[in-house]
Amino acid sequence: MLFVKNYDVVTPGEMLADEGIGGNGTYSEGKKVFSKFLGTVILSNGQINVNQLNGAYMPKEGDEIIGRIAAVEDTYWVVDLGNSYYCRLDAREANTGYRVEDLSELMNVGDVVYAKILRVGRDMSSSLGLRGGRFGKLPANMLIKFNPMKISRIIGKDGSMINMIRERSKCDIILGKNGVAWVNGDKLGKEAVLSAINMIDTDAYMGDIFERVRETLEKFSINKDEAR
Amino acid sequence: MYEERFDGRKFDELRPIELETGIIPNANGSARFKIGGTEAIAAVYGPAEVKPKHLERSDRGIIVCKYDMMPFSVPDRAKPGVDRRDMEISLVISNALSRAIMLDEFPKSMISVYVYITQADAGTRCASLTAASMACADAGLPMRDLIAAVAVGKIGDSIVADLSKAEEDYEGGATDIPIAFLPSKDEIVLLQLDGEVSKEELKKAIELGRKEAEKIYELEKAALKRRFMYESKG
Repeated sequence: MLFVKNYDVVTPGEMLADEGIGGNGTYSEGKKVFSKFLGTVILSNGQINVNQLNGAYMPKEGDEIIGRIAAVEDTYWVVDLGNSYYCRLDAREANTGYRVEDLSELMNVGDVVYAKILRVGRDMSSSLGLRGGRFGKLPANMLIKFNPMKISRIIGKDGSMINMIRERSKCDIILGKNGVAWVNGDKLGKEAVLSAINMIDTDAYMGDIFERVRETLEKFSINKDEAR
Repeated sequence: MYEERFDGRKFDELRPIELETGIIPNANGSARFKIGGTEAIAAVYGPAEVKPKHLERSDRGIIVCKYDMMPFSVPDRAKPGVDRRDMEISLVISNALSRAIMLDEFPKSMISVYVYITQADAGTRCASLTAASMACADAGLPMRDLIAAVAVGKIGDSIVADLSKAEEDYEGGATDIPIAFLPSKDEIVLLQLDGEVSKEELKKAIELGRKEAEKIYELEKAALKRRFMYESKG
């Protein structure tokens, strides 16, 4: 029997079902399914999942992240994802087509890189790939940190939220799943993105977030007209 | 014979409880737990890199806890800094938390738990443990269950719940038994005893503790959910 419904907030150790299939964010003891996190229940395909409301980023295969180069070695870079785990980017991923004697010519300590996680080891160490898409070194620009668990709220349903922010602020935004956003645009646009993301980060749970973010962004575009 | 409690409570009645989470914006998770004249605030940081490095475990994370009493928390000033008693309580808190938190999910990392007592009127280790477990849940750590802790005891010949400092110092003899439970698992993660008690009385005390912990557990769940009440509307 199921004890919860969709979007219910549950606490760790709360029994979700005495007979069921547990998905993400749950654990089972016998047939019983319990929540592992403080989070919201999502029921899909007969599976019970719990989405965390808060927490640290754990590397996962296929995630697109924004990291910072922490060290340059002979054949690889060490990348800082903002958590405690070791992450490396191999030199062959840079795909230059010619031999590079010193890797710091391509990317040096402190540079920001957009990459994809290829593998995650048992000790949570991961390796990155740069093939495809916009992956690679990002030019220095504004970076915004946010709660990594709120990324689905920032993206919105089918990207509705992030597309609205992009449109109204006229900024180029790249989201990293590790809780970092890279923003390129004019000064006012950047400010608008910053306040929008901070708003989602802090009060996403207060309801009607889409409308409130839209209002905030509108305020910035009014100011823009006045400035002209 | 101890027939009526100093503050007029029933023998199985807890002092008024206040619970709150998310009180420290800089921490990953935080909580405040107040029971009568005892108040604990807890902050959780991590998972982060292990320092010092020799504590690191390659297959699981570790918990480092610091418990401290504020100088102004007791009638005579408490000397700041960690003393023998603080070290003991830090250890029992981190041991109890490691039963509740799934440490194998974040190998090679460290969770720092800081608990400070701003007001002390007996039962501080139970208040600390309850606050710490709520802060861990607030920080989004994977947990088997929340911890609900309560001090029970024997005053004179009666078994009572949630002793105050005046009761602990009762001339007729008082025994203090702090107990911590994982209520939905029905596991005991902390049981200490200071004083004299018979086997039957201890069993009765644990039974009473279980009943009282259940009450605290319900309040904990409500407090954690209160902050996210709008989330449930989708």
